Amino acid sequence: MSTGISGWVPVEHRWFGLDRRQMRPALFVLVVALLLIYGWPALNAVVPWDNPTKAGDVLDLGDGATAVPPVGWQLEDGALVSDRTGVSATSDNVKLVKAGTTIQMSGASFDGTAAQFLDQVITSENPEADISGSPATFTTTSGLVGVVRSASGTGGDELLAAFKMSSTDPVRAPALLVNVSAVPGEFQQVSSEIDTFLRSITPGADE
Amino acid sequence: MTIAASTAKNAQLEAIDESGWGARFKFFQPHNPAFWVYVIGVGAGALGMIKYFGPALGGTYRLAVTSGIVFFGIYLIPWLIFLRRQNRYTAQPGKLLATGFVWGAVAATFWIALPANTALLEIWTKLLGPTGANTWAAGLSAPIDEEWSKGLGLILLIALAPRLVRSAYDGFIIGAFIGLGFQVSEDVLYAYNNATASFGVGQLESSLFILALRGFAGITSHALFSAIFCAGVMWILGRAPGERRIGRGIAACLAAMFLHFAWDDASGLFGWSNFLVLFAPYLILMPLAIATLLVVRRLASAKERAWMRELLAPEVETGVIDQPLLDAVSGLHKDRRHFRKLVHSRHRARHLIESAGDLAQEIAAAGGHETPRVAHARAEVLRLRGN
Repeated sequence: MSTGISGWVPVEHRWFGLDRRQMRPALFVLVVALLLIYGWPALNAVVPWDNPTKAGDVLDLGDGATAVPPVGWQLEDGALVSDRTGVSATSDNVKLVKAGTTIQMSGASFDGTAAQFLDQVITSENPEADISGSPATFTTTSGLVGVVRSASGTGGDELLAAFKMSSTDPVRAPALLVNVSAVPGEFQQVSSEIDTFLRSITPGADE
Repeated sequence: MTIAASTAKNAQLEAIDESGWGARFKFFQPHNPAFWVYVIGVGAGALGMIKYFGPALGGTYRLAVTSGIVFFGIYLIPWLIFLRRQNRYTAQPGKLLATGFVWGAVAATFWIALPANTALLEIWTKLLGPTGANTWAAGLSAPIDEEWSKGLGLILLIALAPRLVRSAYDGFIIGAFIGLGFQVSEDVLYAYNNATASFGVGQLESSLFILALRGFAGITSHALFSAIFCAGVMWILGRAPGERRIGRGIAACLAAMFLHFAWDDASGLFGWSNFLVLFAPYLILMPLAIATLLVVRRLASAKERAWMRELLAPEVETGVIDQPLLDAVSGLHKDRRHFRKLVHSRHRARHLIESAGDLAQEIAAAGGHETPRVAHARAEVLRLRGN
């Protein structure tokens, strides 16, 4: 029993100065917390991705906008048109991964041109980033005009492409950002697939 | 008469001992291993918080984060007033509740839930595919990671204040404070995330949007889930005599996790109707959550109400407190409403109930002994009763 003085631990309950009676709950909390913090990531590391894109797949970018993903990449985020899930053009996310290359697409609400949107993205994410000087124009097969900027460094290659998803009223249309990042030496191997993918971006049917 | 008085006095002393009411809470306990686990959790959570918000505070998203903190800081005030009113019967000390709040806001969120959710969401995405995960992953991850991370805070508080945290109602109130801390922290995080989704355009409007959206949804969010979950944990542990109800405890924990799951996955549960996807969270899930909360609160308070009656029984015998006042101070909402009608004055009823509560608190703090503060509290009850 307690000696009656708050904080005084009877000698028979001490272990290296700690109160042994509270060891069980403390260890329980520590073990459960560590299981949640490190157990799930460990399990995640052993569960492989198994959602490769197939010939004929079409990505749903919302409001009828689509893109055709390169075949054989892992679709880690995003919906296909065949899923019929109802994607919002201003909040859609797509992630495609193949070896050391990742393609991420993000829809956003933005009033302005594609070039202004890309400037906003660069300013908000990392204004100090080593992005190439002037943006280049990029036109998709459907006639959608976007801007592309790229960066290259010891960490790998990066390509940013911005589009406004309307040919008739681009200023008020939803914006789409495509961010491609590749580990060193990887980009050249997939550049033609990325080029074809970017050209496949199509605005909604009502355009 | 003497035997009856002595029986009532013994019951009073037993109630004080069982409830731990009046015991003081000391946070700094270097001899207690639970203290060090708490410090590690909150310390690691604070580092995670700085890592998450640090770059934003010094860069583009400063306005989103600061406005989120200010808006949800203001939002916190009515919540604290509301929960303070719920902290009745053998009320918990503010310092203990603040310790729980900090665990919820810092450790449960940034130390445990954030990394655990990130990994578990990805596991579900791998298993269900991106579309399936979009519909179900949040509801299959958050109730596990978040309810457990908050519940761990209660376990630590039991180890830090074993005399104070005894009944299911203690778990209910402490759980609500841990959940509230979690909720506000998560709200600020959402304000920041929403601003990043629009690449920093319209940050103030974005924070206001999150305040409106999550502020309303917050009525039946983490504070409610944790109150139910932690009451369940206390029933499982059965720390008060006669309160070990393992089945009821598991049911309460599962109910909290189910409500959390249903709220997060409403689009999957009600996917067959566009109307229900939009409105079922408010028309079905909110009333269901509130009804569950009220049932759990009623069941959880039974022991505390019994303690309160035993604690004040000697005062009833000496006529300081009459039966209707005892019923009101130890009763449910309907008992207090009945008492208001009986005394024909809302103010007088409130004052009488509060003064009887003060007397009970002073008796508990004095360990059942007669002290000047007990005498004063008793005199106050008599003054208000007009004797």
